[in-house]
Amino acid sequence: MRAEFVKAIETLGLKDEKLIFLTGDLGFNAFENLVKKLGRRFINAGVAEQNMFGVAAGLAYMGFRPWVYSIAPFATLKTVEQVRNDICHLGLPVKIVGIGGGYGYGIMGSTHHVLEDISFYNTLPGIKVYVPAFSEDVGQAVKNMHRESQPGYLRLNIAKKQNLKLPAYGGVRKIFSGEGMTLVVLGPLIHNALDALKYFPEATADLWSVTEFPLKVPTSLIHSIKKTKKLLVVEECTNVNGLGERLEICLYKNRVCPRKLSHLYARGYPSRLYGSHQFHWHENKLDAEGIKTEIRKLLT
Amino acid sequence: MSISQRKKIYRRALDLFFLSQAKHIGSSLSCLDILIVTLAYIKRDEDIFILSKGHAAPALYVVLNSLEKISDRELMTFHRDGTRLPAHPPNYHFKDLIHFPTGSLGHGLSLCCGIAQAMKLSVTHQKKNPFVYCLMSDGECNEGQVWEAAQYASAKRLDNLVALIDRNGIQAFGRTKDVLGDAASKEKWQAFGFEVFECHGHNHVEMKNIFKKVRTSRQNKPKVIIFKTVKGHGVSFMENTIQWHYLTLSEEQYKQAVEDIRKNL
Repeated sequence: MRAEFVKAIETLGLKDEKLIFLTGDLGFNAFENLVKKLGRRFINAGVAEQNMFGVAAGLAYMGFRPWVYSIAPFATLKTVEQVRNDICHLGLPVKIVGIGGGYGYGIMGSTHHVLEDISFYNTLPGIKVYVPAFSEDVGQAVKNMHRESQPGYLRLNIAKKQNLKLPAYGGVRKIFSGEGMTLVVLGPLIHNALDALKYFPEATADLWSVTEFPLKVPTSLIHSIKKTKKLLVVEECTNVNGLGERLEICLYKNRVCPRKLSHLYARGYPSRLYGSHQFHWHENKLDAEGIKTEIRKLLT
Repeated sequence: MSISQRKKIYRRALDLFFLSQAKHIGSSLSCLDILIVTLAYIKRDEDIFILSKGHAAPALYVVLNSLEKISDRELMTFHRDGTRLPAHPPNYHFKDLIHFPTGSLGHGLSLCCGIAQAMKLSVTHQKKNPFVYCLMSDGECNEGQVWEAAQYASAKRLDNLVALIDRNGIQAFGRTKDVLGDAASKEKWQAFGFEVFECHGHNHVEMKNIFKKVRTSRQNKPKVIIFKTVKGHGVSFMENTIQWHYLTLSEEQYKQAVEDIRKNL
């Protein structure tokens, strides 16, 4: 998704002179062209994330539209107070980009993972969270974020190309229809869900992709869950205040109670061992195999 | 400003602290003269001032009141339920005067770096050559973010940024030299690439002259003025003591403080 992100920022940066791009010393082999295109508006703020966020708040206060970029845990956990006090409390249009959300940085270890970003950004006032699912989503998500006057957080990961006709970008979208169950997936884990569904007959699941918070659940999704009575939620973050909890609250308010409900999420480090992104997915049953097993359980 | 006007501001600060029973009186009296000189004489409309040591908000409110930016009636709501003037600067009100909700120490200098850089990037601002002033305490300079910001300001050559340090040598629970060492020393700020000015923090004439030097400096560096101040300045039993960071005034102490200000200032 990074290539699509850079392309989108380059396009916006040429159109909007108020766009400023700040990076926490990241971008080798990715931002070289952006540096040339933005000139003084490209700022390497060094390995000093808290300051970078304060600087971005100051720039936004003065009318600029800053984007701040770092590895997801450094763009989120390290700077949460700056985000709350300096950005959210004033509703400043600072756009935060975290690359490698969840276990995205794999073997780099737990310091480079972030499982809690969705959880706490969903508690901060007025910030909109974007978790694109497909690389095709990134351009539109970036465009929307830049246009919005509120703070925003963009969680980027790697997404493989799918040979799939995608519906237009939206915060909650149905990818395809099915009868046996409703499968709701946050962000790029949709690809693992798609791989898992290959083991089942066509139209096994009503498959939904969620890419934005605050979660706005369409009536059609409620109807889907009412109809199938079986719900599986999959997300690469903690189970607190993420997609699963938000959707459950929505169902409770709508007096919908699925007969079977399952939730796959990032449980941390169950074996206390480390490995690739794939390894951590497997450990947390978030890989195609784990999702397949859970689907089978729900269907029986 | 006449001596009587200055005394009036100090007296108003004492009234406010006594009536509200608010804390942080020592820190507020320590920087009251810096606030008076900066806001009443130095800061122009196009400049921006941020109180990074947000716990001195009462001092800021009193000075803004003396400049008729905050009414007497509003000032008297300080520290009460339903006020727009809490113990640390608010985020929803007085947006032209108080730009950010400070109080968590260490944020101000980064915010000012962003503002200073925005001023340099904006053509409309460049014509007026505006400055951004950031008032910090010496205890606040314990914060790592201050030094992240200092590196940034220096690397980006933000020569329109002026850090003001209220160096009273005392922080919340000890003397700065005993806690983490003197983070407001000239050598440290010089090492971080700032043009350093030092000044008495309670002598208005000297302070105005230093500001003049700062504004006319041709060095392409961010500036810092290290003000030598006295915590609890003007009140005999508060001066240079640690406990008056948090203590509140009894009626007897209040009367003594008022008398001290009348005689000593």
